[in-house]
Amino acid sequence: MPRADVVVVGAGLSGLTAAIALADTGAAVEVVARGHAATHWTAGGFDIAAPDGASTPADGVGLLAARARPRHPYARLRDDVAESLAWVRSVLASEGLEYVGELDDPLRAVPTSIGGARRAAILPAGQAAALAPWAPGERLVICGIAGFKDFWPAAIATSLRRQEVWGAAGSPDARPSRIDAIVVDLPDQAGRHNLNALELARRFDDPAWRSEAMGRIADAVGRSGRLGPGRIAFPAVLGLNDHAAVLEEAQRTLPLPIFEMPLVPPSIPGLRLYYALRSALRRRGGRLVVGEPVARVVVERRRVTAVAMSAAVRERLIRTDAVVLATGGFAGGGLIGEPDGRLVEPLLGLPVEGPAAAEWLSADPFDRAGHPLETAGIRTDADLRPLDGAGKVVVENVAIVGSLLAGQRYLTERCGDGVAIASGRRAAAVLAPSRAVTPAKAQVPA
Amino acid sequence: MTIAAVIREASDAAEALSPTFPEVALSADDCLKCNVCNTVCPVARVTDLFPGPKYVGPQAQRFRIATMLPPQGATTPRIASPDATVDWCSGCGLCTIACPADVKIAEMNSRARADLKTVHRPRFRDWLLGQTDLVGRVGVLFSPLANWSLHNRLFRWLIEKVVGIHRRAPLPMFARRTLRSRLGEASRGNEPPPDRAVVLFHGCAANYYEPHVAEAAIEVLRRNGFETIVPEQVCCGLPMISNGFYAGARGRARSNLPTFADYARRGYRIVGTSTSCTHTLKAEYREMLDLADDDARAVSEATWDICEFLVDLHDQGRLDTHFGRIAETLPYHAPCQLRGHGIGLPALDLFALVPGLEAIDLDHDCCGVAGTYGLKKEKYDIAMAVGDPLFARVRSAASAGASRAACDSETCRWQIEQATSTPVRHPIEIIAAAYAAGSTTAS
Repeated sequence: MPRADVVVVGAGLSGLTAAIALADTGAAVEVVARGHAATHWTAGGFDIAAPDGASTPADGVGLLAARARPRHPYARLRDDVAESLAWVRSVLASEGLEYVGELDDPLRAVPTSIGGARRAAILPAGQAAALAPWAPGERLVICGIAGFKDFWPAAIATSLRRQEVWGAAGSPDARPSRIDAIVVDLPDQAGRHNLNALELARRFDDPAWRSEAMGRIADAVGRSGRLGPGRIAFPAVLGLNDHAAVLEEAQRTLPLPIFEMPLVPPSIPGLRLYYALRSALRRRGGRLVVGEPVARVVVERRRVTAVAMSAAVRERLIRTDAVVLATGGFAGGGLIGEPDGRLVEPLLGLPVEGPAAAEWLSADPFDRAGHPLETAGIRTDADLRPLDGAGKVVVENVAIVGSLLAGQRYLTERCGDGVAIASGRRAAAVLAPSRAVTPAKAQVPA
Repeated sequence: MTIAAVIREASDAAEALSPTFPEVALSADDCLKCNVCNTVCPVARVTDLFPGPKYVGPQAQRFRIATMLPPQGATTPRIASPDATVDWCSGCGLCTIACPADVKIAEMNSRARADLKTVHRPRFRDWLLGQTDLVGRVGVLFSPLANWSLHNRLFRWLIEKVVGIHRRAPLPMFARRTLRSRLGEASRGNEPPPDRAVVLFHGCAANYYEPHVAEAAIEVLRRNGFETIVPEQVCCGLPMISNGFYAGARGRARSNLPTFADYARRGYRIVGTSTSCTHTLKAEYREMLDLADDDARAVSEATWDICEFLVDLHDQGRLDTHFGRIAETLPYHAPCQLRGHGIGLPALDLFALVPGLEAIDLDHDCCGVAGTYGLKKEKYDIAMAVGDPLFARVRSAASAGASRAACDSETCRWQIEQATSTPVRHPIEIIAAAYAAGSTTAS
């Protein structure tokens, strides 16, 4: 009944990765989440590692793993990264979501929708055209949508024309020779209020509408100047449920290669990633319940025996042999910083490794090194079991994954996705039940 | 005035406005503006008329709060909502469920809609749709005539023109006799103790339209050693809440609460087959209607959805699991109101115990009807578009051989039946049939 071999708390990238890998072993796995997670907020690519000084993701993983203080999660996970990434990509590919780029590929400056650049090497197919080096004479056409307030092509172009955006490391040919901004009127969008990314992405799923839309984009690009070599940057709205088909049509019918720029939340590439992971989990018979926060975790003799869900009225107990804690950092609610300076892990009350209150923040809010508080998290052993300050295991059958792990600064190190995938898969390997279990039937209607 | 004094004054004023004001109205303060709610809204998915829960909810809430609390409150005229499009919200509640920051979005929007009704004159149609027990009483009394006229195309055209209920909207058939009259007078003097009896909140659907659903529950409960007590009761008030008539809904709640609270205090559990009625008793009396007194709390804590109750019995090893074989594929839709309970999908847990029964979770957000929303002339097309992928899945299951589907909520059942011409049953009917099949093979 309410019983699972493993309960995964949290439905972000790390939790779903762990759950899918567990379901693959035949384990009865239940994912519980208080709401939708960070997948809906993120750019949908795989940030493995891009600390200052790294030339490739693999290089970045090595730099982070070698760092002495604070010890980075990659110190334990570095050997898992390549295999985990390949595995997640194969899972996603079978759900129709393709990625481009490898761990040994150079980290390149990819232009963003606020006119900055971020360094990336592994991106979804829809963003992949941004990765190729810019050839001499190549032009970037930033194409906005009339009435769409989350993407301002002229402002983006103005900012991107500044050399420093592309980074000091960039040679003159590492950026487009010319940057143009255009706006296209998409079919029946005139005069609409609250035109948003979600709505546009759903419109692109409609084959008839999108074929007209592609025609208008092609015309607008054609009018923007001498065609020559170049690429189109477009807001990330090229389809939600039928993205692969939209992308294929865009590549076939538009005069220049196109890439998507991720936007403010809700992130369409992030939603595609979530839908693909969710579908992969269900296909393997795993369960996913969103909207039921965990009220408490029952621990007996240093082992979790049940997870209590807070329902509308009374708790719902799910008995379990193990728990994957994928509750995230401060943004996800996995960690709480109390006004009195305590750092709290609210579900199990695990010891949190982190700076003292006086050292949480640095004087410069945009310090390249990040804020000391970012490194706060749970310290674990090689099996991802939580440790106390003395290095002793606190709970035996719990694995900590994702941004809850201590020692990472995912904002500046850009390591969040790599840590999530590698730790998620490691957790599954550690917690998979050894006894033979009949896999639950995948129940996906035609 | 110091900041602390302003905050104190504001929270006193908030407390005076409503005891659950901080829990619901002020939860807007936790909103991260992440837009997750907009990604799950089934109405915004199909129409431009509704901009999405974030815009009319936490986003608009600051304007509402600004005019409710001092110091502005004294001088600024109170606005019900800066955005009247909140009326296009169907009230499915999926936004609250999806929110990672625990903002009570759907509850906020329901209250805003009710406030709008106090400013603008409500429609007769919306009032009528809130009167489920009145409509039920009259309908059962004249059931042959009522059923004929409510399913006659000319009458339905007339009703659409005059009242505003869509001509193709799914309306159920009135029963010939109410559940209460079929059961006879409940004998209150002769009640077994709480470990051998439960109290039934049958709601309007089981009383006036589908007595067989409650009877199936009574039979299943008896099989597990529980008699069923059926006290006097009125509509839970949800149809009034959904249509913005909070005062009327509070009246319904106040007439139900003392009776049921009395049972709850004596240790009885309150069980219902309508997942939306039980959700109202559990949560909405508090979160929508501000009823936070001892009676409301006692009833809330004692209320169980029928499948939740049976799963709990099984968890204690007390459920009779001598089910007969039911060899069929059963498509199952989990209604929005059930998800609001936060109890998982107990019907699927029960189906898994029945030999031969292969339940398919249809995995769709909402059937569209959301109680009375999809009955309204101007909202019917939206409701049908919301449910369309679900209907396609039911039709495809039916063409693959499924003879029926299952769903816990009555209005969803009627909507899916109407749209797909496939019969849709309450899970408890399937469970009762599984017991019956077990008895046949045993004898």
